[in-house]
Amino acid sequence: MEAYLGIDVGSVTTKLAVLDKNDELITHTYRLTQGKPIDMVQQGLVEIKEQLPENVDICGVATTGSARYLAGVVVGADLVKNEITSHAVAAMLHFPEVQTIIEIGGQDSKIIIIRDGVVTDFGMNTVCAAGTGSFLDHQAVRLNMSIEALSQRALDSRTPTRIAGRCGVFAESDMVHKQQVGHRIEDILYGLCQALVRNYLNNVGLGKEIKPPIVFQGGVAFNQAIVKAFQAELKAEIFVPPHHEIMGAIGAALLVHEEMESNGNDSKFRGFGVSGVKYHTSSFECKACPNLCEIAKLALDSQVIARWGGRCDLWERIPAEEVK
Amino acid sequence: MRIGIPRALLYYQYYPMWQTFFEELGAEVVVSPPTTQAMLAEGSARVVADTCLPVKAFLGHVLSLVEQCDRIFIPAIRSVKKNTCNCSKALGLPDMTKAVIPESPPILDIDIDINRGKRVLYQAIYKLGRHFTWNPFRVRRAATAAWQAYLNYRELMSSQGLTPRQTIEKLSDAPETKGEMSSSYPAPTRATIALIGHPYIIYDEYISHRLVRRLETAGIKILTPKMLTIEELESAITRLAGRAYWAYEEEIVGAGGHYLQSGADGVIGIMTFGCGPDSLMMDMVARRAARPQATPFMSLTLEEHTAEAGLVTRLEAFTDMIHRKKRRQGSR
Repeated sequence: MEAYLGIDVGSVTTKLAVLDKNDELITHTYRLTQGKPIDMVQQGLVEIKEQLPENVDICGVATTGSARYLAGVVVGADLVKNEITSHAVAAMLHFPEVQTIIEIGGQDSKIIIIRDGVVTDFGMNTVCAAGTGSFLDHQAVRLNMSIEALSQRALDSRTPTRIAGRCGVFAESDMVHKQQVGHRIEDILYGLCQALVRNYLNNVGLGKEIKPPIVFQGGVAFNQAIVKAFQAELKAEIFVPPHHEIMGAIGAALLVHEEMESNGNDSKFRGFGVSGVKYHTSSFECKACPNLCEIAKLALDSQVIARWGGRCDLWERIPAEEVK
Repeated sequence: MRIGIPRALLYYQYYPMWQTFFEELGAEVVVSPPTTQAMLAEGSARVVADTCLPVKAFLGHVLSLVEQCDRIFIPAIRSVKKNTCNCSKALGLPDMTKAVIPESPPILDIDIDINRGKRVLYQAIYKLGRHFTWNPFRVRRAATAAWQAYLNYRELMSSQGLTPRQTIEKLSDAPETKGEMSSSYPAPTRATIALIGHPYIIYDEYISHRLVRRLETAGIKILTPKMLTIEELESAITRLAGRAYWAYEEEIVGAGGHYLQSGADGVIGIMTFGCGPDSLMMDMVARRAARPQATPFMSLTLEEHTAEAGLVTRLEAFTDMIHRKKRRQGSR
């Protein structure tokens, strides 16, 4: 059976999804990246292999997410795609009529505007990660509750408090202040959700024409309170797809399916065997010019297979004798 | 006498003019090397934190010229057209440099203020020329030759679609630098993208994170403000803003307005963190781009950050958006 694998290695979570040739999801995994993108891709592959039926043949692999280049070299990807295109394609599979996609992940948030099935505009958060998954995680840890409980408690709020959402540091001090003067924790939590939604719309969504149908995806879409706050703020229904947390991986698989069908090539996938191979990463400072770029390299059994990070391509070209 | 010219800010606009002027008056011209991490860091260390990135880079270039020349040429460009203003940092550039780089060689400055009329401009040019000669006719000849060199430079860039560096090399018959962004596209051209912004951002490979080359490698043909004629730029400004307020407004509002209407599949606006006038001008372009059915537009703000991931993701998404849109339109 023909199948396509999409791998989305984000800053916080690593997602893998396998689609069949009718673009139906066969299986997927979702795990924390824990600062070890290569290990997590390898472990994800092991898990996928166990879940897949015997006769599956991977005809194409694509990687996306902030570690897409690294993951792409590790697995032998046929396509390395940015997460905006991947998310847009995946959302359109489930909701062909979608006009706006809200995507909030671990470290970044995006808005994608679609008209007539084509992306016409997009926006991404700048350096500030306030209002993304990591910030919510941090608050859950501070309040000693699970991230699921945070969402549930927030839904019980009746009179939400005002929390400043402009900046994560201010939001946190605001929350502490409100708790110390006696506001209920539910109200503070829902107030936080409202603040994050306002922050998103005023930053990432600034100047964008947000039209329904609106699809909300990414890990933060697990949080029902945020969904509710978006609905209230945008006065429109928000659709959360069933596999919202792995949409990037699904999109990557869709894109590689499209790519392989159009070029007719064989996949460069290194096989599920790569999960047993020892990869080694390291970095050094290039001294060839005063720019002192930090070059990262990826080695497979002491053989360098990829290098990047320079402002020029001095280290990206790997001489043949080094590759062997 | 050796005159140092920092390869930053208005160098990209006027270098051939300045070079001709000084050489005609018998001086030797020394240009600082392309921007590096170290130059930017040294420049940044001299000023308060919220100084804009291009000025920090400029000061780094001045520092690299210390002991390399006898004088440094830093003009104060107040206006280049009637009823326009330049940013405050450009007005005070010679004085600011004097204050923060006391070890700098003596600064040759000139006040260019077209607002005050031709007479004042000519007086300023003679005053600058007096550093080299007391003969006003020699100064006049040098100035005329310099103006002609400037016109040639503009002509070459707009008619042949060359970058400032390529044009400067062509004018000086120097061998072409290897690895410079090229106008021969390695991949077959899949789309045309206009970059709008000041030349000292677009063409400074360090500040722009090799933006031009990245796009060209991806098979994108690049258009820049310098490839448009003055008439095209002016008519676009009239359409978008009525009348120009800032010096060099044509590089953003003019070029943005023009390319949003014709010639490009997408427009990318590039500005640096901390630039006041740019943030106002870029917003004017963004508003025009927000109209329905407009050409896709994206603005990028560059800063000292060395991480390129955010920039790369945005560029990839933008070019993907254009390719997919074109393909969809083609299949209809």
